[in-house]
Amino acid sequence: MQVSQEKRRNYRPLVSSKTLQKTMGRYYALTNYHRYWGKLMRRPLAWVTSGAPVELLRAFNIHSAYPEQYAAIYSARNATVNLCEVAEAAGYSQDLCSYARSNIGGVLRPDLAPLGGMPKPDLLVACNNICGTVLKWYEVLARHFDVPLLVLDTPFLTGELTTQAKEYVLEQLNAMVTDLEKITHRRLDEKKLAQQMSLSREITSLWIETRQYCRASPSPLNAPDLFINMAPIVVLRGSHEGINFYRKLRDEVKERVDLAQGAIENERIRLVWDNIAIWPQLFSFYKMFSEKGACFVTDTYSGGWAVEQAPGTPLESLAATYTEVFLNRSPKYRANQLINLIKEFKADGFVMHSNRSCKPYSLVQEVIRKEVIHETGVPGLMIEADMADPRAYAEEPVRNRVQAFLETFDDL
Amino acid sequence: MTKYFVGVDIGSLTVKVVLINDGLEILGQLKTRAGYSGKDVATRLKEQLLAESCLTPQRISATVATGYGRVTFPADREVSEITCQAKGISHLFPSSRTIIDIGGQDSKVIKLLPNGRVGDFTMNDKCAAGTGRFLEVMASALEVEWPEIGELVSSSKNPTKISSFCTVFAESEIISQVSAGALKSDILAGVCDSVASRVASMTRRTGLEKDIVFTGGVALNRGVVNALTKQLGYPLLVFQEPVITAALGAALLAREIHKSSI
Ligand code: SF4
Repeated sequence: MQVSQEKRRNYRPLVSSKTLQKTMGRYYALTNYHRYWGKLMRRPLAWVTSGAPVELLRAFNIHSAYPEQYAAIYSARNATVNLCEVAEAAGYSQDLCSYARSNIGGVLRPDLAPLGGMPKPDLLVACNNICGTVLKWYEVLARHFDVPLLVLDTPFLTGELTTQAKEYVLEQLNAMVTDLEKITHRRLDEKKLAQQMSLSREITSLWIETRQYCRASPSPLNAPDLFINMAPIVVLRGSHEGINFYRKLRDEVKERVDLAQGAIENERIRLVWDNIAIWPQLFSFYKMFSEKGACFVTDTYSGGWAVEQAPGTPLESLAATYTEVFLNRSPKYRANQLINLIKEFKADGFVMHSNRSCKPYSLVQEVIRKEVIHETGVPGLMIEADMADPRAYAEEPVRNRVQAFLETFDDL
Repeated sequence: MTKYFVGVDIGSLTVKVVLINDGLEILGQLKTRAGYSGKDVATRLKEQLLAESCLTPQRISATVATGYGRVTFPADREVSEITCQAKGISHLFPSSRTIIDIGGQDSKVIKLLPNGRVGDFTMNDKCAAGTGRFLEVMASALEVEWPEIGELVSSSKNPTKISSFCTVFAESEIISQVSAGALKSDILAGVCDSVASRVASMTRRTGLEKDIVFTGGVALNRGVVNALTKQLGYPLLVFQEPVITAALGAALLAREIHKSSI
């Protein structure tokens, strides 16, 4: 019985995943062969943090690669431990974010990294709207590669975005434009920037629309679907390929809703996910839920890219949009965000991943958990793991908690 | 004809089996070390319990397994020990709202709803601090047998302070306290305080609500009971056989599951 249950597929595969693979495959090939075409096309390669204003970089014809994205791939391909050990042997603490550790490990030993590691950057762009770790991490990279590092400092928002904060960031963006002009030997093309902003708006609205369909019951997508399908909005924001892919995905998801097809069989329990995916256990972990009829209908992590651009001139809009990202905001804001998701998606509960690596995401979770339980009356589970380092994941205790949590929805 | 139900709790250190009847009476219970194969030990223990009660396996209407070894044990259903513990304790102490359970490998705090169901829970993770294992390691470093701990601790006048939560570091801390001439009783009292403070903060995190029941193997240790009572500032209710409460809950659930299936 156990075996046949194991084999039973409680996942409905997405047809659009072929396009996803093609789109991402092309992006990785392009990125990894950058040394052959970059100079020729006068397109420098930047390593950027996930919260960097890439629209501006794209307007300068800069090709962006994301160490965080590569680190997630390292993890899904079981390379993180080896790479982290390289970084740890070089003196980096085990307490450092595992994306940073595995990226640094990959820089030191590209032979151990999937895809042969990342191609050498011409410049680095870090924005601390996601965390403070990226500043020191990128400083290390800047020293190692001896390339310019551009930093965008976005002040933490305890409440709403203030005029001073916005002006402070805007000033830095103006300075960044000057720096980029020097680095690329090009003037900023305002028209191109506006065009990039509009493409970015388009892709974002497709991602928002797709996610909204998950308010249906059964939900057409589950958390692993959301995590896998967020890749293009991270790395191909503002590109036509990205938009084409999200049109396909949107159409397929809409069709699922029309046909009342759920992402999992027999959806019984609807949950909201908080924090980065557990990449090394992407399927085995979420299967503990799906086999009991529990579906993650939405999440805060991949939802981080489902945010509309703020109004104003392109640079003003970038200043506000990138400062207002949820990781740069108060626990109160984040609690409200979860409360709204639970209400909007009619969720029965929520699960928080206390992620050893990501301190800004995880440290305040217990406070948020209490507040959300109090406000919504639905139960919330806390799981301790790491987004990339499997050494911080203990399967049995996790299974135990998940089971106990799901039992609270039954009549036991 | 009377119906019988069995609850099996295969923990990391011990296996417990409880037999109840339809009338919710505890007819028998056995416990022993889990050893290498908790499943085999549990199978033997269940057979022994039935033999002692003069029952054939056919007379058992349903069995529920819980604990770390629950998945492999042949039972009608496997249920997590959090749900079982809640069931057992709310049966024994209907007024309970908070359960503190310190077992061999983990410690947990369960918040009960007024209807006896699980409202919320917190568990320690990937760390032996605040568990039975921590106490065992420290007791063996001091060459003290488990049952002596309570007595020794009660004679302590100046408990030492164990500052490290880490079992390995705490052990070396103890060794240096021994060589500095501290009394065994004082060191042990320090160890109990350390376990209690870890668990007390977990309890406060989950939310402290009366009545509080302390269960699991460590609840037999008077040293920890007293330290925890002092730290929480509330009296703790302890069942005379705190080790079997999850197995009892499993047996009670076996009865419910059987009833709802007919
Ligand atoms: S600490 Fe968190 S936000 Fe910062 S790089 Fe690591 S995972 Fe990303």
